[in-house]
Amino acid sequence: MNLPVLATMALGGLAALDATPVAQTLLSQPLVTATLLGWIWGDLTVGLQVGMVLQLLAASTLPVGARTPEDYAVGGVVGAGVALALAHRLPFEMAHDACCLIGVFAGLITATLGVALLKWQRRRNEGLARWSEAAVRAGSEGALGQAHLAAITLAFAVGAAWTAFAFAAFVWALAPLAEHESLKLAHAWELAQPLWLGLGLAALLNGFLQRRLARAAVFGAAMLATWLVLMLGSR
Amino acid sequence: MARLTRNDRLRMALRAELIQATFNYERQQGLGWAYALEPALDRVIPDAVARRERLATHTAYFNTQPTLASLALGAVARLEEERAPGADGDDVVRVKAVLGSALAALGDRLFWFTLRPFVACLGVLLAIGGSWTGAAALWLCYNLFHQGVRWLGVGWGYREGPAVFGEALRRRLDRTTRLLGLLGTALVGMTISGLLVPGGVPRTLTFQATLAAGLGVGLIVSQRPRPSPTEWALGAGALCVAAAFWTHGS
Repeated sequence: MNLPVLATMALGGLAALDATPVAQTLLSQPLVTATLLGWIWGDLTVGLQVGMVLQLLAASTLPVGARTPEDYAVGGVVGAGVALALAHRLPFEMAHDACCLIGVFAGLITATLGVALLKWQRRRNEGLARWSEAAVRAGSEGALGQAHLAAITLAFAVGAAWTAFAFAAFVWALAPLAEHESLKLAHAWELAQPLWLGLGLAALLNGFLQRRLARAAVFGAAMLATWLVLMLGSR
Repeated sequence: MARLTRNDRLRMALRAELIQATFNYERQQGLGWAYALEPALDRVIPDAVARRERLATHTAYFNTQPTLASLALGAVARLEEERAPGADGDDVVRVKAVLGSALAALGDRLFWFTLRPFVACLGVLLAIGGSWTGAAALWLCYNLFHQGVRWLGVGWGYREGPAVFGEALRRRLDRTTRLLGLLGTALVGMTISGLLVPGGVPRTLTFQATLAAGLGVGLIVSQRPRPSPTEWALGAGALCVAAAFWTHGS
């Protein structure tokens, strides 16, 4: 097993930790993990293409209350990892677009299926909490520290294992498709990329606007001003 | 009466990083809360039996926005310090519950609904040109707030006690949320323009039309919680693949 593959799995474990159990620094956000993986695999462009799409979709998925959101931490790592691993095998530019499409699909499916694993961990933690309370009352003050160590180890192990499984499954299953149908998949990417970016940006815009007219005006003015600056600046 | 030292408060802030490590449906952050509060209880309750009983009580249900939990930790540590030995802790439990829900209401709006989407949009805007700075900006901007409040919050909460969640803090957080919301709206506009004409070169008509379609559909579907944005994205992606295979033959 080569170094980038191992690094992808380790990053999956770290992202799973950062998402909820430890620190919540947003290291687990798809854009950050995809950029890191782009460096590791030596193809920042493919990493960023996948990372940007998954980031915008992840930003509208919120961990509020007891809701278990889609697991975009592992999804982001698997998505970017699968795209980079496939692009690594296929040298043509057209094939890279196909790899990006497959990567985003892999990320979205992994994030959706990962919810079941997150729920399973949270149910395991319920037992850990009951055990800790009983142990503390029985005189073991170190029980809280042990429970935390166990929960963190479990979260890392599940994150790394789920990343390894999903990464291997998608690369194995979709590598032939990327090789033989890269032209059609690249055309699909031309359509899907802006559609996905639009969906993600619309969710963000809706959250920011909150039906306030003044903010809608700010949005329009900022869009127009940036468009003018970019167009005039290029002349 | 033993008083908390700066070192105790630092240990609490460090442990606050793990407040969600044992997150579960039954007690949510309860165990993490007790673990973070343990250095304070070690200091203010010298009797081991009483301390263990108090620690076990704190493992009960608790939930708030994880960054602002530091403020509640500091305030409750102050109450535990002032509580007379042997007195019941009902007032502490009440303050903990009130602070938890009040901070969650403000914190969710500031951190989850505003700051996180804001830094995500900033990161994407900077990444459009193919630069790594997008990821760095996302991470740094968020942590400037998040880690700043988490590490300083315990001290603020301890100094102010339960009054930490007063009118001044509420106004300051509200103002920050409103300002970030306004800047975020502008940022989305800038990002859309950056995607349409990256570096001043207009993208293809197909790209522009599909981005507009995505925005339009996205604005309509985001009015309803179900299907989720991820499910919409999967469906839209599948349609694009089908369209590409159909138009380019078998």
